[in-house]
Amino acid sequence: MVQPLSGQATYVILLRELKRFWRAKARIIASVAQSFFFLALLGSGLGGFIGGFGGVKYLSYLSPGMIGMSLLFGSVFSGVSVIFDRQFGFLKEMLVAPVSRTSIILGKILGGAVTASIQGILLMIVAGLMGAFTTTVTFIIGAIASVGVMMLITAGFVGLGVAIGSSLNDFHAFQLLSTFIMWPIFMLSGVFFPIDVAPQLLQAAMLIDPLFYGVELLRWCLLGTGTTILGPFGWMISLGVLVGFTALMVSIGTYLFSRVQV
Amino acid sequence: MTEDIIVAEDLTKIFDKSLVAVDHVSFNVEQGEILGFLGPNGAGKTTTLNMLSTLLRPTSGTATVNGHDIIKEPDAVRRSIGFVFQDPTLDIELTGRENLDFHGRVYGLKRDVRQQRIKEMLEVVQLTDRADDLVKTYSGGMKRRLEIARGLLHYPKVLFLDEPTLGLDPQTRRAIWEHIQRLNQDENVTIILTTHYTEEADYLCARIQIIDFGKIVALDTPDKLKARLEGDIVSLTFKDSQSTMKIRPLFEEKDWVRRVDLVAGENNHAVMSRMMQMMRGMFNDGSISGTMPEMSPGGMVPEISRGEAIRRSKMPRHMQQMLTRGSAGENGHRGHDEGPKRMNLLVDDGGHRIPEIVKLIDKTGVVLESVELHEPTLDDVFLSVTGRNIRDEQGSFAETMRQHRIIREARGQRS
Repeated sequence: MVQPLSGQATYVILLRELKRFWRAKARIIASVAQSFFFLALLGSGLGGFIGGFGGVKYLSYLSPGMIGMSLLFGSVFSGVSVIFDRQFGFLKEMLVAPVSRTSIILGKILGGAVTASIQGILLMIVAGLMGAFTTTVTFIIGAIASVGVMMLITAGFVGLGVAIGSSLNDFHAFQLLSTFIMWPIFMLSGVFFPIDVAPQLLQAAMLIDPLFYGVELLRWCLLGTGTTILGPFGWMISLGVLVGFTALMVSIGTYLFSRVQV
Repeated sequence: MTEDIIVAEDLTKIFDKSLVAVDHVSFNVEQGEILGFLGPNGAGKTTTLNMLSTLLRPTSGTATVNGHDIIKEPDAVRRSIGFVFQDPTLDIELTGRENLDFHGRVYGLKRDVRQQRIKEMLEVVQLTDRADDLVKTYSGGMKRRLEIARGLLHYPKVLFLDEPTLGLDPQTRRAIWEHIQRLNQDENVTIILTTHYTEEADYLCARIQIIDFGKIVALDTPDKLKARLEGDIVSLTFKDSQSTMKIRPLFEEKDWVRRVDLVAGENNHAVMSRMMQMMRGMFNDGSISGTMPEMSPGGMVPEISRGEAIRRSKMPRHMQQMLTRGSAGENGHRGHDEGPKRMNLLVDDGGHRIPEIVKLIDKTGVVLESVELHEPTLDDVFLSVTGRNIRDEQGSFAETMRQHRIIREARGQRS
């Protein structure tokens, strides 16, 4: 039976995610600090050796990638948390409420996307303070656009997380998830080195990584540069791939979640 | 005239094509009654509840709740019911009020109605002054009460309570029972609860449905269920354990005595059963390791004396003292005879047998101190209809671990 979407239910779940996020300040600080260390150590250490890529210094090159990492981990874990929610918590209670699963999960995805994006924005500010970006008018427009990109990336990865969380019954699989899905996605997204310098086999692997396009787009927004491999209109390709990925993941996540039995 | 608010017909749930969790179960629930599903872990109680609440789709069969079919009209069913789960489903990172508020929003209650009901329900469960604290600071009993309040916020016709007092201490359990009764009477909510505590079913339920291996093996009022066990238990108390031993063979050879059990040195049945109840709780939740002295019909403990049981248990010292103090006066001047001074006989029509029993004892010259008659308890009934003791863990390992976790949580987070 098809149930109508309930805006209230979506809103409630979103509100819940936001409240929880806001109350877990220590976790936010830890997450941003982790990325800060990456930026500070790699940016200065490795940066001193490498210099830079594609006309920008290494710290600047690294920053969009670190934002991408923060978005990836924040959003996938937020999505996977439906495992806990449905077995031990809040979500189970929602499942006996007269609202559709779709409105529940849309709230979850939206909530996960907003909270992970907030972390991304915080990191963007930190990177900016470290001097990763040149604050011009173009940059400010790009930075605003990047917030939209962050939402797009995170919505897709929360969808992925929800899909995984709905299919797994066991949170011991968490470790496997982290090692075999999240780290490859992260490492192949062109965070540390541009795709142009990678060997061909690696390039192929990077091109099937959705986060690669996300980071690419962020870099384009924040730095105005991109890889040569995607051509001069690389940002449009990236945007297209990202929109497709997010639409697909949200659909799959919603579908799998709607089939979840308690 | 009462009407049936739930009608279940041939409800069946098979997991993984072979595990029959609920096996062609049919029953009716009357409007306004409290019906208890009594059974050991894994008997199919929760699965039945999950089907009635549309969380699980039956493999075959169906049911109507408040006139709505659980398969065809799940939305209407969901609007008619409230559900308090066995696992805590509160968001502990939110305040009590926020938990209620979110629930109200999801059920489409308008702001002013919502605020009114939240206020009302908080008062019902006496949590008004803690409403704005984070739920993680609540005790186990408070969380349970909040969950019950939440389940009632949208004025459901039927409230499902899955093991409502699992892991709670006796006082909190009693308080929850009183809440449930009050809700049932004042709000006229039909209540269906599952439990594996016979005391709970006996105290609360108008009717009890005993479920075992996915089947209903009995459905009746507690009194009628107990009446099924024909006979009464006649308790005889003697001056010392030698007398008991001397009398024992006398009744063992009588064909009208179905069973003879010796009760270890204890005169006060009430104190005894209170202690048993506490210990049972601890054994069940793992806070005492080891095996529970087996209970025989009538709540008797063979072999182990009461004092010994108290010493062996790891219960807090003040509890030990409280329990030993209960009979110190009586036993003090008699030395330390902790052997069985009491004997329970299961006989037909105990009231009429008493004169004969007394006469038989008189002839031997043994002094009888007291005679007491009691009816079989639900524990005895459960044993008789299923052939098993309800205290035996029958659930899967995972289920048992899960319950232990719930219990730990209920206790650990008490502040």
